[in-house]
Amino acid sequence: MSAARDDSAAYAPPIGDGSQLAPTSPRGGWLERYEQLVGARTLRALEALARKLKGHRIVMVNTTKTGGGVAEILHRVVVILNELGIETSWEVMEGDEHFFGVTKKMHNALHGHTQPLTDEDREVYHERTRMEAERLALDGDLILIHDPQPASLIEHRREPGQHWVWRCHIDLSRRDEDYWDFLKPAVSRYDTAIFSHIEFVPPLTIPAVLVPPSIDPFAEKNRDMSEEEIESICDRLGLDAASPWMTQVSRYDRIKDPIGVLEAFKLVRARRPAHLVLAGGSASDDPEGAEVLAEVREKAKGVKDVTILELPPQSDIEINAIQRASTVVLQKSLREGFALTVSEALWKRRAVVASAVGGIPLQVLHERTGLLVRSIEGTAFQTIRFLDNPELRRDLGVEGHVHVRDNFLHTREVRDYLAVFARLVG
Amino acid sequence: MDQAPPASVSEAFIFHTPSPLESPAGQVATDIQSLRDGIAACSDASLFQHVTRMPVRFPHARDVPENDFARWVGDVMQMPEVSERLAFVGSASILDFGELRGSLLGVLDRVQPKERKREAPEGALFHFLEAHSVLAPLGVEARTAAEVIEVWPWIDLGSAFYHLVEAPLQRTEEQALIPWLREHGGKSMADSAEQVVRSSRPLNILLKEVGSRWRRSMIGRRLIERAEAPELERQREARAAMARLAGRLRGRGSKS
Repeated sequence: MSAARDDSAAYAPPIGDGSQLAPTSPRGGWLERYEQLVGARTLRALEALARKLKGHRIVMVNTTKTGGGVAEILHRVVVILNELGIETSWEVMEGDEHFFGVTKKMHNALHGHTQPLTDEDREVYHERTRMEAERLALDGDLILIHDPQPASLIEHRREPGQHWVWRCHIDLSRRDEDYWDFLKPAVSRYDTAIFSHIEFVPPLTIPAVLVPPSIDPFAEKNRDMSEEEIESICDRLGLDAASPWMTQVSRYDRIKDPIGVLEAFKLVRARRPAHLVLAGGSASDDPEGAEVLAEVREKAKGVKDVTILELPPQSDIEINAIQRASTVVLQKSLREGFALTVSEALWKRRAVVASAVGGIPLQVLHERTGLLVRSIEGTAFQTIRFLDNPELRRDLGVEGHVHVRDNFLHTREVRDYLAVFARLVG
Repeated sequence: MDQAPPASVSEAFIFHTPSPLESPAGQVATDIQSLRDGIAACSDASLFQHVTRMPVRFPHARDVPENDFARWVGDVMQMPEVSERLAFVGSASILDFGELRGSLLGVLDRVQPKERKREAPEGALFHFLEAHSVLAPLGVEARTAAEVIEVWPWIDLGSAFYHLVEAPLQRTEEQALIPWLREHGGKSMADSAEQVVRSSRPLNILLKEVGSRWRRSMIGRRLIERAEAPELERQREARAAMARLAGRLRGRGSKS
């Protein structure tokens, strides 16, 4: 690889809170690793909150052990909670293809892709929920249910003394009201509902709390990489560019505006040497994605210095390497949920240019941790600013990394869950 | 560090760490007028979230970002002058919420009526939030002002912010560190902490600054104590200090 790799932001800022002055308590496992990142003082604060919940038992429930962001989060969060001394187990709701067919429809409809909800769908959902309510070991006093699929378990299994919290990871701002009306009676029985962003919160009769999602700095997608490893992966992907890369990593979806990215790149390329990398998941099982990808390829015909990658699932290492090799990372979405890919790029100290939509402004503070844009021309203008200015890339990259360290790592999400439960148990 | 003895050694100051939970406050601003109405009607917890909590939301930032109202007016409404004024008002140190609200409204009342109704773009409305802290004892306490200096390295940024800024604002007097210091023989410590808190600096710098001012204030007293200490004890402490210095120098040498 001969990419103009940007090392200007490689400097690692210190924790800077003086916590090294204080004696540290011996920690093991993931807490110790996190301590290296967030500092002993932050860890002690987390442990203090955990002490409030000593003797309580948490049960997490979702519908898959592997694949998907929620499972990824739970793998780490459950371990951290146990290391903090709070007994925590993880139950997975099972189902047949009918059930998951219904929950897939539900997921899509709550995201705004309307599909009819039939009486049969309702029956399949309720029947499976009844069966699973009997099977699952919901024997803790603090139950945290993730996402809509298992939300109705509460109607069958809530016992006296238990506190139930519903954690909704998805964007409900364009929800299909039929599906929401179907779920609402169950959700209304929870003690608290948690959402990732204010715009996702539907009208509710129970308290709502905002807990942004978080990233795992030790996961394959985010872990540190040597120059050699980055180079070898990029070589394998056939990425070989002498010019600085501007990159957008996201699925081929119109709301991610890959065509807009291409148009912005053309404006940049007319003025500066640059190479565009568009990297997205495989579109083979997503007809709309395949259509968008074909359109992007068509529009990119004849445009020099563009690489369009269709990555298979489990391409975390590749995404990590591509982001780290990029000079500017773009997220030019027209609409967004939380857009955690932005935090992933900031964590890698990349210069980020992103649209001011959804949860992005929480991560990109304009001129502090990255640059916010609202148009194709704005994207081109801010990208050129970054390309021309290594100091700006370094300064904002460092601030972005610090911002993610303080606000978007798993330890912060764990603390928020503990705070929700601590408030409930009083 | 004052020489006056502690007023009462039995009244320990118990440090707590706050975990703030953010929740929707209900108001949504679509233009300057509705932002103004929202600020007039919102709870103190909402002002706390959008203005006062900025240092703790960005604890390691190079400098504290302008408050949320100022940022929205500047970034979304594209009104830099109003944004600057809101930023300035919000950067004033500990005000009470009534005073803060009045100052923010004063800025927005100066906006021309025709400008107040210009609508924000879709998807960029201002949603008011509230923050309520869940407290947990940190397992650290001090019985004298001098002990506060000893335990300060154990205190996390959130805890320092809570005891220096949040508790006095929320009128939870028993959790406010500065009055406690005044009552427990640490008047000059209280004064210097108050001075640093007023500076609206990033929280990590504030925490270090408070700690180092306090340690400096101890130098005179420690010199007197050491001068009065037995010779053997002084020799032991001198050896320990030299060992620490040598350790630091070795550490520095190995880094270079």
